[in-house]
Amino acid sequence: MASIDTAPKYAKQPIDRNDLIQKFAALAGLVLLVIAFSLANGAFHTMSNAVTIALQTSTIAFIGLGATLTIITAGIDLSLGSVLALAGVVSALSAQVGIPVPIAMLIGVLTGAVCGLFNGLVVTRLKLPPFIATLGMMMIARGVALQITGARPVSGLPESFGTLGGGSLFRIVEMAPNGFPKVIFPGIPYPVILMAILAVAVAVMLRKTSFGRHLYAIGSNEEAARLSGVKVDRVKTGAYILSGAMAGIAGIVLMSRLVTGQPNEGVAYELDAIAAAVIGGTSLAGGVGTISGTIIGAFIIGILRNGLNMNGVSFFIQMIIIGLVIIATVWIDQLRNRK
Amino acid sequence: MPAATVSQKPPVSDAGVGETILSARDVVKRFPGVLALDNVHLELNRGEVHALCGENGAGKSTLMKVITGLYQPDAGEVTYKGKPVHFATLQDSEAAGITIIHQELNLVPHLTVAENIFLAREPKSGWFVDRRKMEADAQVYLDRLKVDIKASDQVLTLSVARQQMVEIAKALSLNAEVLIMDEPTSALTESEIDQLFKIIHELKADGVAIAYISHRLQELGRIVDRVTVMRDGGYVWTKRFDETSVDDIVAAMVGRSLEHQFPERKSVPTDEVFFEVKGLSGPKNCRDVSFNLRRGEILGFAGLMGAGRTETARAIFGADTKTAGQVVLEGTEIDTKTPVDAIQAGLAYLSEDRKLNGLSVKMTVKENITMANMDAVCRNGFISDAAEAEAAREAVEKLDIKTPTIDQVVRNLSGGNQQKVVIGKWLFRQSRVLFFDEPTRGIDVGAKFAIYELLDELASEGIGVIMITSELPEILGMTDRVVVFHEGEVAGVLETAKTDQEEIMQYASGVKRMDL
Repeated sequence: MASIDTAPKYAKQPIDRNDLIQKFAALAGLVLLVIAFSLANGAFHTMSNAVTIALQTSTIAFIGLGATLTIITAGIDLSLGSVLALAGVVSALSAQVGIPVPIAMLIGVLTGAVCGLFNGLVVTRLKLPPFIATLGMMMIARGVALQITGARPVSGLPESFGTLGGGSLFRIVEMAPNGFPKVIFPGIPYPVILMAILAVAVAVMLRKTSFGRHLYAIGSNEEAARLSGVKVDRVKTGAYILSGAMAGIAGIVLMSRLVTGQPNEGVAYELDAIAAAVIGGTSLAGGVGTISGTIIGAFIIGILRNGLNMNGVSFFIQMIIIGLVIIATVWIDQLRNRK
Repeated sequence: MPAATVSQKPPVSDAGVGETILSARDVVKRFPGVLALDNVHLELNRGEVHALCGENGAGKSTLMKVITGLYQPDAGEVTYKGKPVHFATLQDSEAAGITIIHQELNLVPHLTVAENIFLAREPKSGWFVDRRKMEADAQVYLDRLKVDIKASDQVLTLSVARQQMVEIAKALSLNAEVLIMDEPTSALTESEIDQLFKIIHELKADGVAIAYISHRLQELGRIVDRVTVMRDGGYVWTKRFDETSVDDIVAAMVGRSLEHQFPERKSVPTDEVFFEVKGLSGPKNCRDVSFNLRRGEILGFAGLMGAGRTETARAIFGADTKTAGQVVLEGTEIDTKTPVDAIQAGLAYLSEDRKLNGLSVKMTVKENITMANMDAVCRNGFISDAAEAEAAREAVEKLDIKTPTIDQVVRNLSGGNQQKVVIGKWLFRQSRVLFFDEPTRGIDVGAKFAIYELLDELASEGIGVIMITSELPEILGMTDRVVVFHEGEVAGVLETAKTDQEEIMQYASGVKRMDL
């Protein structure tokens, strides 16, 4: 779970004490969850489960990164789950017709980016509210994904299509005397590594580039940003393109893990992503949010799911608990802000 | 009976008007770490307009909140109609007959006038709102104010002045006996103010007690009977208005006498015209506007509210699209289609509503200062924390911005310091012509002086300063020349030293007009 521990350092903002408290509150919640689940079930606290959690969380984290960018501009991206599916199947279809896997995957990510561009243009040119623009894209992308696959899974993919989602770094396997392979160290799955890299990259972009600063400026006060010479339309469109590309990455990673293109994958994932961002302290009113917070939020959701599963809590009860967690965190956040 | 109580003692009830209806004595209110009200007194008589004066943060609003039940006092007593009262909520005080009209009007824009007046107390017939009765009742109150507003009008279609009338109609409908008005004229034009004052006089005649909070001291003489001054949460004095003067009030507000309201001008206008606008027309309220700006000069834009001053500035700056005209800076015509172009060329526009479109209040001092010039603090595409902090520190030092650190969120600064942050942003951008739109609106008397000094200093450094202001004393005290606007056109350009308030008003109201 190395990435959990390093997450808060990505975008540490010593500026705002409230921000730090928020972060530590979320982080403390995360640690408490880990302790509670470890006590409840011995199997929780194992290396292989940690790897599983990180792997499961990576999908929410990818699209959580995208969601955070748009929410910081006081927008929203509801199309993430559908774009994920579309990008994944486009990538799978490309690989199926013989396009080399890396290029096929790149096509998938580009598909996501194009969907994002469309969202951005609808928001900035047609001046529609982001909620509406991306709600439209949510249906369009899902429809296209189902149409081009005939609603059937895309299978028969080359083996290498599964490497990104299924492979691991530093995996150590030893042959046991009884002839069965014994996993000494499960390795760090590529999606987890990718998640860490992207989280750091996006956090640096937010903190250290003018593009990142302009995202906050737009979310904080769009007219002030415009009158300060921020190219508001361009920056906003950029946020949606990146958001779409993140959904694209999530799509290819997920489909690679399944080694199939699933046009029905990712339904309602955008809500998990938005929940992760919000739990991590991103404000839907815009102007506020960090990547470290979103990663913590994603892990809180991921660990809750995993731990509750392990303790035999039904999926339906899990939904109830996660729903309550979202309401409680945002409520606590508001109580603090009212002060 | 001494009508003008000069000592620190509570005022004695006698202003020659009616009996005392409301009094607050020895009111103390503490907030964590702050003594917001320290033994404050206020007394309102029936049929009296009582001005409450003090700088921002003097405790005027806090006192009003204590009186209306929004805050509970830690000590002291509020007496209403002879009995001690403890209102638990705003609704309680409203039911008792005390109504407050806030500076930021509390109307629901998408509802009608009648719906707003009777919000949360709609007349019902059975389970349903009796719309006909509601509108008829609302109309009665509107007619009483002699305003041309229909009860069925949607509030968002009304001007700010008319919305204010709706608030007053609402107060009438609540049978208000005490009316508290917080900065009622700050967004009104001269004729609208006249209208408001006429209504205030009528309310007075009906025996309503009015507490009147305003920064615009010049207008107090037209309506006010008594004045109470507060400073730093404390009570200074209560006097009859005819026994005091504006200078006296200002001195009491700031705790020192202000020899001059305006600084001695240091900058000297030269003959060098370095910024010029020719035949500019904009989408709204800006037709064929021409003027020029000389180096070292402060140029004023005067005019009534809605005369097109802001629209002109926005069109020059590219915030609104121009339909015709040229903008020339230092002999070169510059293209200012968008704010990006205008900023690139060296223009800056400091909007009249800082919080609405000047500042990113959720962001820090540092982030606001560098916002218009990120390139200057970026190294290889990444923001350099060191360069950014240096830029911010320089601005804080030069402009004397009172902030604990450069990482303070701007929301937490006072109005004057927020304005300085905006100025700092444009200085860091090295803008050469700055349009200041109402630069001292909502700023303390003391902080205003600092802003004036700053404008003068900028002009003496050769930066173009154009000041749009509705305060005529500001025009007379600070500018070298004044462009007077009337209905979107330039009515005249006057030498400030050779003109006076009256002449400016004649041009502003369209009585006089220059051939330009």
